[in-house]
Amino acid sequence: MSELKYPKLDLNIYVLIKQVPMPKAMKTTAEGLMDRTGKSMMNPHCSHALEEAISLKDKVGGTVTALSMGPPNAKQSLMEALRRGADRAYLLSDRKLAGSDTWSTAEALSKTIEHISNGDALDVLFAGLQTIDGDTAHVGPQCSARLELNQVTYVESVDIFDDKTLKVRRIIESGYQILKVPLPVMLSVSHTANVPRGPSLNSSMSALNKEIIMYNIGEVGLPETSAGMTGSPTVVSRVKNVVHDRGAIVLFTEGSTEERVSNLLTALKEETS
Amino acid sequence: MSELSAEEIAKRERDSAIPFVDLRDGARGVLTWAQMDGDDLADAAIELIGEATRIAQHLDEDSRTIYTVIIGRKTSQFTDKLIHHGADVVYVIEDERLTDYLTLPFTNAMVSAIREIKPEIALMSASTLGRDLAPRIAGILDLGLSADCTSFEVGLYVNRRKNQKFEKAFKMVRPSFGESKLATIVGPWCYPQMATARPGVFKPLDIDTSRTGKVIEFKPEWESKDFDVELIESVRNPSTIDLSKADIMVAGGFGMGKDGFGLLRELVDAINDNGQKAEIGASRAAVDAGFVDYAYQIGQTGKTVRPSIYVAIGISGAIQHLAGMKESSKIFAVNNDHKASIFKNADYGLVMDYQEAIPELIKQVKAGYKFPLDK
Repeated sequence: MSELKYPKLDLNIYVLIKQVPMPKAMKTTAEGLMDRTGKSMMNPHCSHALEEAISLKDKVGGTVTALSMGPPNAKQSLMEALRRGADRAYLLSDRKLAGSDTWSTAEALSKTIEHISNGDALDVLFAGLQTIDGDTAHVGPQCSARLELNQVTYVESVDIFDDKTLKVRRIIESGYQILKVPLPVMLSVSHTANVPRGPSLNSSMSALNKEIIMYNIGEVGLPETSAGMTGSPTVVSRVKNVVHDRGAIVLFTEGSTEERVSNLLTALKEETS
Repeated sequence: MSELSAEEIAKRERDSAIPFVDLRDGARGVLTWAQMDGDDLADAAIELIGEATRIAQHLDEDSRTIYTVIIGRKTSQFTDKLIHHGADVVYVIEDERLTDYLTLPFTNAMVSAIREIKPEIALMSASTLGRDLAPRIAGILDLGLSADCTSFEVGLYVNRRKNQKFEKAFKMVRPSFGESKLATIVGPWCYPQMATARPGVFKPLDIDTSRTGKVIEFKPEWESKDFDVELIESVRNPSTIDLSKADIMVAGGFGMGKDGFGLLRELVDAINDNGQKAEIGASRAAVDAGFVDYAYQIGQTGKTVRPSIYVAIGISGAIQHLAGMKESSKIFAVNNDHKASIFKNADYGLVMDYQEAIPELIKQVKAGYKFPLDK
């Protein structure tokens, strides 16, 4: 497998990165919005999208721009993206964005992409399939509608056809589709697509000299009427906890393998009989 | 009957002073998308019509028409079935080029139909196709959208911030934050109020072959770029195996590898030889890697099962997988990573390598162990 089989395309690649609360720290505020003050991490699907973006760049060359929207601490995830091989990173951060639903999030991100690219047209926009806090899978397709890109969701693999088209495989129920997709395109990536790499020494070193560029909504030209709760066509009217009837797990940690398996099988039988 | 607190009374008085508003601007009726899987009608198509009919009972009388849009290569053959299951008006969009779902032509067709019909509510399936289509439509028409809903209501909604009250707002209820919460979403400001609905959750109406309806052949104006993306291959494995008949599911994950699945098969065989009905299951990643056929995939893009016993081996417990098995009566998990989220969703667990656990399980089953089954 020689790298030479790929043409040099110098693609202008963007990847959307969301910082999400750690699963254990997920809680909502009194208004029913996500509390983003606790421990957080890069959304797992975004991590797969980033991997796909960097490996595409490795094949055909180009630039990977990581973009996030969120509170200032979202810089953490962008810094991680730089350490893994993204070339530059931007954060749209503004208190007026609080309460944004998926439509207004996509509006804000699209405006930011237009502002950053400034005529240097985007070729591929990667997004994670969905986030683990909202689970909607909306923002990628909504951005591609806004930016008038081709669109493939549930992406499992990305390859090159020729200098203007990609070969993309997507999940469908009980199977898959393979599509020939002209650039520019938005690809939302499934967690089954790849195993994300860790930070590399080279990228980590060069990340030290890089600055994450921050914008507020005024700087990217997003009007206040389109931002946050004011600009959102939907609101959360109520949140309630799902009651799990499954109790706490019983783990079998004592004894030999034989004893542990046997104790589990016995407990299972005794409880249900 | 408990007495209302002073605070609650004051709140209700404030709410009663908030004026009712109606921003529908002529939007009436409920639109559903009749999804096709290739040349076949998806189950979701009639599930959505069933739910649309139930929702419509709570809307104004002039907003109870069910409009169903079907898009594909050979769609007109299904119009009777859609009407017999509750559709009042079927918009048929047929084109030789639509052999399978493609984002742009389907978006164009739906956007054109929505503009023509002007419905109050629009429903699509939260399948891999519906979750591609609906947000694209929402992005183009500037609509609100609620994802992957599991129940719907129509009723009073008060927005104190905007000082508005809606008499019959569409309330879209969806699991969120990793299925740990149920959020109710409303958006009575833009029409149609739009949602995707989780497949398999909503029940179709009983078929009524005497029902009649109207069929409209609808021709959207195709744009040349609609067909820029080319479908090279579409593979659907029609399922020949009925996983729902198994009392015991033994499911494996990607980390087990091909050899691990060989061991898993041995365990399933041993349980069957011992007189209990067992079947193999797998995560999407394991299916993708080719360890087992797509027919055995459990989860959001695979099958939903609820056996007496679900044995999850080497499965991390991604939300997508949990969605397909969390209703199982008893779940026991084996994983060598004690932090795997499957342990938060199981009754019993072993932090152990599958290579140790499976042979031991086989040994005990061969020695006569029977799993306790639901009555």
